[in-house]
Amino acid sequence: MLNFVVRRLLAMLPVLLAVSLLTFLIASLLPGDLALVILGDQATPENVAALRRDMGLDQPLWWRYLSWLGHVLQGDLGRSFRTGQTVLQAVAERIPVSLQLMLMAEFIGLLIGVPVAIACAARAGGAFDRFMTGSAFAMLSMPSFLTAILLIYLFAVELRWLPATGYVPFTEAPLANLRFFVLPALTLALAEWPGIMRVLRSDMIATLQEDYIALAKAKGLKPSRILFVHALKPSSLTLVTVTGINIGRLLGGTLIVESIFALPGIGRLLVGAIYTRDLVILQGVVLLVACGFVIVNFIVDMLYAVLDPRIRHGHA
Amino acid sequence: MTNAAAVARKRVPIFLVAVFALATPVQAQKSGGSITVGQELEIAGFDPLKVGVYDTSTFTAAAAIFDTLTTLNDKGEAAPKLALSWTHSDDYKSWTFKLREGVKFHDGTPFNAQAFKENFDRQKDPANKCRCAFYITNVKEVLAPDEHTVIFNLTDPSVNWPAVITIQSSNNVIHSPTAWKTKGDDYNRNPVGTGPYILKSWTAGDRMVLEKNPNYWDKGRPYLDRIILKPLPDAQSRFASLQSGEADIIWDDENDADNIMKAQKDSKLTVHTYKGSGAQVYAFNTKVPPFDDVRVRQALVMAIDRPKMSQAISNGLSRPASNPYGDGSWVKCKDDGALPFDVEKAKALIKEYGKPVEFKMLVTATPRGRMIGQVLQQFWKRAGANMEIEQVDQATIPTRAFTRQFQLTPWRIVDLADPDPQMYANFRSGSPLALAGFSDPELDRLLDHARVTADITQRTEDYCAISRLINKEAIWFWTFQNTYYALSSARLKGFPKIYNGVIDVSTTWLE
Repeated sequence: MLNFVVRRLLAMLPVLLAVSLLTFLIASLLPGDLALVILGDQATPENVAALRRDMGLDQPLWWRYLSWLGHVLQGDLGRSFRTGQTVLQAVAERIPVSLQLMLMAEFIGLLIGVPVAIACAARAGGAFDRFMTGSAFAMLSMPSFLTAILLIYLFAVELRWLPATGYVPFTEAPLANLRFFVLPALTLALAEWPGIMRVLRSDMIATLQEDYIALAKAKGLKPSRILFVHALKPSSLTLVTVTGINIGRLLGGTLIVESIFALPGIGRLLVGAIYTRDLVILQGVVLLVACGFVIVNFIVDMLYAVLDPRIRHGHA
Repeated sequence: MTNAAAVARKRVPIFLVAVFALATPVQAQKSGGSITVGQELEIAGFDPLKVGVYDTSTFTAAAAIFDTLTTLNDKGEAAPKLALSWTHSDDYKSWTFKLREGVKFHDGTPFNAQAFKENFDRQKDPANKCRCAFYITNVKEVLAPDEHTVIFNLTDPSVNWPAVITIQSSNNVIHSPTAWKTKGDDYNRNPVGTGPYILKSWTAGDRMVLEKNPNYWDKGRPYLDRIILKPLPDAQSRFASLQSGEADIIWDDENDADNIMKAQKDSKLTVHTYKGSGAQVYAFNTKVPPFDDVRVRQALVMAIDRPKMSQAISNGLSRPASNPYGDGSWVKCKDDGALPFDVEKAKALIKEYGKPVEFKMLVTATPRGRMIGQVLQQFWKRAGANMEIEQVDQATIPTRAFTRQFQLTPWRIVDLADPDPQMYANFRSGSPLALAGFSDPELDRLLDHARVTADITQRTEDYCAISRLINKEAIWFWTFQNTYYALSSARLKGFPKIYNGVIDVSTTWLE
């Protein structure tokens, strides 16, 4: 197992390097001169040239990349020229919000997706299965901003059960905090559960056709025991991957959902950075998020190996 | 004799406003309570050296935390705030302000002429490379001859200077020098002013809590104990927050016409509208074909059906403009020389031009920018001109405009108390902002005359003549006047006019 972990960790290095290069290029290739952004459109050419020199923007691209990477490796991702905050400070302030949102969304998604998948697989092709598969398809095609607006309209404006926008930290008021997160998390979860459900459903249908299930049935075990104990674990391999990949996808979703529900998370930070052309924050956040994604994938790989020993021995 | 004293002797008093005239309240103000303001953007900070220029959301906070020397009264005239009275030199190039005494910043630092001068010098200092410096290039220097006197020496005359400096911009609000010196980089997010509210806490991306300044110089004010500012970037959920009572007042604009109209019908809500001065405008580059021919320019202007365009982009909320001043301006013209909407005439002019009229127009890469481009494209197609839309980033437009890399570009004349600063910059020969590249001795004469004339009737005549000349030459055209919106709960009272788009809640109270 240790061997496997080390191999995977080493494989991550080139990926992370590629990620850093791409992030750097994205920010550098965006139209608009950083010096001009900082000084404003009315800056004189001399001022712009002086600032470009100060910031090293007159150096070749490769030199700038290496010097940036050097700083990044020392934990210095730069400082926003608009707010004076460092990237790490800004991210540290925002990350708890996004993490809570993603975890709650994934949790609600699983809460809906897993039972529905099991119920569908138990009677594959039945009325319930056909209805839920259809609904899942419909939900998958619904853009999250529309779901968000519908939920706000129903639960905040009409029924007044939940707040439309806002946030308080969990440490300050746990219950209020959860209330603020219900609608945004539900918005993301409504786009999540169909994927979870479809993957688990098809895997379970396949598992239920295996010989050992037939044996279990022949032994007269209760159907619920067969479903939950004998079929669920071997069927959840793909689900683990999907859940892992979802976390990355959810980060994309937070861009929209955090803006709509006014949650002060990473998504909002990123949107704000794009809007104000705060390239330092943009670069830093994209890099951290990409690294987070790589790490989540690594964890998924590890879980895989735990769930299916054949993988860590290189047989699968 | 000091230089300052010499300047002071030449001065002629215009207004000596000794007492701060309090308007008779229509309703009794109530003290206490707290409101939540839903803003469009997240506030980046307050230090001019960091943020350069304030955006609309920062204006709201700045109006509560800071004071300016002067303010605009309900008639749109300059009124005292931290300055009690002012005088000017004969040539309007030097203005002397007498400051209110006994005012202190939130951190206890006394507000005086020296503090004001330090604010100004810090922005002007080339070593600080402040983006804000561009907007004070017309101020040569600020002097502080004694503790309560501030003198502005301007490079060009300005007859309405006290009104020009009323906006809560990064140039005009006054910071505590002690605070920025001691806090350094952290000052940006820990602003200290003399204003009616003190910054209590600020959670990045979420809320800014402002609390009543118990030692505010204007006794009895402010009324509300607390103001909470929240960035709610999405227009739909911002409006939902107002409807569900989570926000008491929200920023809005014509892009969101549906919700404004919904609010107009809702008795629990109040729609605050301010018909400002200025307009949404477009500049032709008259140095390049086909716009080097006046007939083409006139034809394009005459082909625009503004009411139809307003219907298409904002459900009819946008108010057509026929001059650059707008209903909110004191410039009222009997004849502004606007070209009539006349497609047949436009076709005839293009035919007379004789060559195909093909050009590119810059628009912002936003849904609204694209839509405006498409509507104009259709109008011009009917007149026989082919326009190609070139979508660019918002930030690219000024750069392209200043370097004259455009044929037709959108622009904006913002709501200012006086037309002079913008008209002079946009149309005086040789100005870097004279985007059309058009030069006319009569236009220059009128612009020069208007800025050194005190008589309002005479100035109005000048500006109307300027409008007639620009409309006739069609070097720029105007589509819609600036209109500003705020939607609030009907309980919120005392909300002032939305000058320059600033949602100033520092004078409000809850019924």
